[in-house]
Amino acid sequence: MDRRHFIKQSTLLSIGGTLIPSTFLSACRKENLFEDINYEGKILIIGAGAAGLYAAYILKSKGINFQILEASANYGGRLGKLTGFANFPVDLGAQWLHGKNNILGDLIKKSNTKITLDDSGTKYWFNNQLINSLPQDANIFEGDDLPDISYKDYALQKGLGDEYKYIVENIAGDQGAAASRLSVFGNNVEEENWNSGDDDFKFQETFFDLIENQIASKVKDKILLNTIVSKIDYSQSEIIITDSHNNIYSAGKVIITVPIPVLKTGDIQFIPALPNEKTTAFSKIGMDGGMKVFLKFSNKFFDQNIIGGPICAAYADESIGKAQNDNVLLAFIMGEQEEYLTALGSDTAITTALLQELDVMYNGQATASFIASHVQNWTTNPFVKGAYSYSTIGIGDARKISSQSINKKLYFAGEAMNTNGHHQTVHGALETGYREVINILNDVKK
Amino acid sequence: MRLGILSILLFAYNITSAQEFKADVSYKYMYSNQWDKTIQTYNFSRPFLKENQPLLMNGLNTSVSYIFKNEKNLKNGINLSYSYFRSAAENENFNNTLNLHFVNLGYILLYENTEKWKGLYLELIISATSSGIFRNINGEPFEYDETKSKAFGIGGDILLKFGYYLKLKNKSFLSPFLSIGYTPYLYSTNSEAVINQTKGLTSKNWTGILTTQIGLNFKIRK
Repeated sequence: MDRRHFIKQSTLLSIGGTLIPSTFLSACRKENLFEDINYEGKILIIGAGAAGLYAAYILKSKGINFQILEASANYGGRLGKLTGFANFPVDLGAQWLHGKNNILGDLIKKSNTKITLDDSGTKYWFNNQLINSLPQDANIFEGDDLPDISYKDYALQKGLGDEYKYIVENIAGDQGAAASRLSVFGNNVEEENWNSGDDDFKFQETFFDLIENQIASKVKDKILLNTIVSKIDYSQSEIIITDSHNNIYSAGKVIITVPIPVLKTGDIQFIPALPNEKTTAFSKIGMDGGMKVFLKFSNKFFDQNIIGGPICAAYADESIGKAQNDNVLLAFIMGEQEEYLTALGSDTAITTALLQELDVMYNGQATASFIASHVQNWTTNPFVKGAYSYSTIGIGDARKISSQSINKKLYFAGEAMNTNGHHQTVHGALETGYREVINILNDVKK
Repeated sequence: MRLGILSILLFAYNITSAQEFKADVSYKYMYSNQWDKTIQTYNFSRPFLKENQPLLMNGLNTSVSYIFKNEKNLKNGINLSYSYFRSAAENENFNNTLNLHFVNLGYILLYENTEKWKGLYLELIISATSSGIFRNINGEPFEYDETKSKAFGIGGDILLKFGYYLKLKNKSFLSPFLSIGYTPYLYSTNSEAVINQTKGLTSKNWTGILTTQIGLNFKIRK
C-alpha cells in the first residue's frame, strides 16, 4: 500500500468509523418515550382533578384507551371558578401559579395565557395595629440542621413569642397546615427539589380556565361525573371497580388520584386491603382544612395583603392581576383557623366573624361597606376534605412509599404523591399524572 | 491572585517550551443516557407541543494543544477544548432551545509513529470538564425569579484520538482525525430543572457521556 492509498483508505475509514456508528446510534435513539409501545388494555383514572385530567390527556395523546371516574358533579378537583360574584372571574380553589419554571409555565407560554406577577404589598396585624414591617424577621423556617418539630414550637424556641402567633400561622398556612402540625425539618427536606421559582403569578382569567381550556377540553368526553368509587378489587388480573350505585367498571390498570384524606379515611374499599406500609405512609401525609371566603365591598378600604389576623391570618386583594377591579377581599383560611370557622356552622356566621375582625382592623369600614360574600369550604367537600398536603412531624419517605404502584395494577397520583418537591401545587399534580403513565408503560414494557 | 499569576507563568512557560502548536475543529456526536431520558420525558409529558425536542447529540468541537519539546516518539502537552451542542424545537408561540457548552482542560500523551507509517499518531487526553446548559424560549434566555435558567456541571473526561499528518509546508501539517471519548461522571445537579423543569423525577444528578468526533487538525512545528 502506498502513502497516497493509505491516506485515502484511512480518511474513508475515519469518516465511516464515525458516521456509521453515529447514524446507527441516532436511529436507535428516540426523541420520545415508548414510541414503539402499544398498550391495548384499558386504564381507569379515579378523580378528574389536575393529576387525573393530565394523565388522561397524556393517554389520549398516546392513543391508549381510558376512562375517568369523578365523584363530584364537576371536574377540576381543587380548581374551580366563580362567575357573577364580581366583575372578574374568581378562582374557588388553586389560584396562584407558584413559579414559572414548570410544565404549566410552558403551557401558559404556548397558549398565550395572561398571567401577572403578584408583587402586591403586605401589612401585618401585630399588637393590635396594622404595620408595614415586623420588628423581628419571622422567616426562620429554612436552613440547615432544622429540628423535626412543629413550626409553632420552633418559633417559640427562636424567640417569636405570642405576638407572632398568627404571623407564624400564616407562614404555615401557606403550606396548607396549622403551625402546630407542620414539621420544620420535613417541610425543608421535601422542598429541597423545588425548582419552579419563588415568584407567584395570578391569572387574568382563572387557573381553572387554563386547565379547562388546555387540558380538560381534550378529555371531557371520557369523564363520568357523579361516579363515587366505593370498591376496588385488584385480586384478579382484571381490576373490578364498583361505584356507589353498584355499577361495575373493569380495567387492566387504575390510576388513583383522589386527595389523601379520601385514602386515609377508607372511603374506598380495596380488595385485598392495601399493605400496612402503604396505609401507614398515607397517615403520615398531612392535610388540614382549607377555606376561601370572598368578601365584596362597595369601597376599597383594605390593603393588598393583610397578614396575622387571629380569625384569618391571610387576606388578599382578589382584584390583583385581574382586568376589572371590583372590591373583593379574599380570606384565605387554613389549619386551626379553618376548624374554628367551620365549627361556627353557617356561611353567615363565618362571614360575620371575618367582618368583625376587619372592622377592628379598619375602624368599622368592613361592615359599613359590605355587599356580599361567597364561602368555599374545601374541608366540607366530601371528595376533597381539605386544602393540600403538607409535611407532618416524622413524615420521612411517606410520599415515596405512598406513590409506589401495587402489583403493577394500582398507581397513585395527585399533588400529595409528588416526590420531587412540587407537592401542594397544580403543576406538581400534573407531574404525577404523567409520571404514573410512564410507570404504567414501563411496567407494560417489562 | 497568587493562583492567577501562577497560571499565567505556567501558560507562558508552556508556550515558550512548546514544540508544536495544534488546533482542530470537528463534528462531535454525543450520547448521554440521562439527558436523553430527560428530553424524552419532556417530549412525552408535553403533548401540547407538536414538535419534539431533539436529543442533544450533534455538536461542534474546537480545541488547541501545546506539545512540549521532546525528541522521543512519546510526547506530552496540554489541551484546551470547547464543544457546543444545540437542541431546538419550533412550536407555535413556543420555540424552545437548549444550548449546551463544554470546556475541557487536559493533559495529552501523544505518540507519533516515526517508522513504517510515519505521520500516524495517537493521542490520549485526560481532562477536567465543565459544562453549562441554558434554555432559550422564543429566542430569549428563559428567566425566572429574574435569573436565567441554567445548570453547570463538572467532571472528568478521557479521550482517545488518532489521525494521520499530511505535510502542507515545511513545518505545518494537516491531519484528519477520529476520536472516541468517555466522561464517566459529570455532576450537574440542575440539568433536569433546565430541560424538564423538574428535579429528581427523570434522572440522577450526574450523567455519563460517550462521544465520537471526526475532524481536521492543523499542526505547526517550531
